Amino acid sequence: MANTETSLKEAMSIIEGATGVALVDYTSGMALGTLGGGKDFNLEVAAAGNTDVVRAKLRTMEHLGLKEEIEDILITLSGQYHLIRLLKSRGGNGLFLYLVLDAGRANLAMARHQLRRIETELEV
Amino acid sequence: MAAEREVLDELQRLRARVPLLSGALAASADGLVLAQDTAGVEAESLAALTAAALGVAVRLTDATARGSFRELLVRGEKGYVATYAAGSSAVLTLLAEDRINVGRLHLEGRRAGTRIGALVDAALERAATPQPRPEHTRTAMPARPAAPPPQAPGPATGTPPGVLPRRPV
Repeated sequence: MANTETSLKEAMSIIEGATGVALVDYTSGMALGTLGGGKDFNLEVAAAGNTDVVRAKLRTMEHLGLKEEIEDILITLSGQYHLIRLLKSRGGNGLFLYLVLDAGRANLAMARHQLRRIETELEV
Repeated sequence: MAAEREVLDELQRLRARVPLLSGALAASADGLVLAQDTAGVEAESLAALTAAALGVAVRLTDATARGSFRELLVRGEKGYVATYAAGSSAVLTLLAEDRINVGRLHLEGRRAGTRIGALVDAALERAATPQPRPEHTRTAMPARPAAPPPQAPGPATGTPPGVLPRRPV
């Protein structure tokens, strides 16, 4: 089991091409922890904006009558991948991990696999 | 004051941009309404209550050496009331539904507070300098005397009519 800080550190260090990561509470839109990012990529702004993404998807699924859970959401930009992974562990309800990857350096399949492992080990 | 219209525009843009925002109010730090877009809530009493809460918040940040006041968030069962500093003598108070994205509320509230603060401070600056006024002002304010009025005994800050009394925030 790992706490928030170690999980974020792990994501930044072991996932190739990671440039920012955040643990976000999508009931409030606020980040519980962030790492990376920087002046030209504000992770607080990303946390609030991607909260709207997650909420919109959940609402859409509700309207469609889908009784399933979101495992992850992938957003592909021209030069970046953004990966949103909802937490399933105990106490992780209403939280997601948000990972920003440099598309030129990242291996998407590997990143997704590693993020899943980090998520299962994370205890909030 | 001259900035009233622009402040109101800012409030309306804010309400259009942020979903689940149910009211926005710009007030002076001592409880006078500058501009409001608060359907269903009385702006005057909200401004007065904001000033009261602000007084406590300012003392609280002072007493705990947290620097000057930035923001105040109150959560009730059915939603939030958030107050953000806006320049040297005004505040922005927002009413939001319980389901709001608080992260976004903060981001937008801080930005709007900064912009409203700049508008209000610029208007105060203009009012404080007894220079010929810009020709296009469209206020209903009484004509200004050529020289500043002699200081009358009474209220500590002898501010001309129509101008926000300043108060250290």
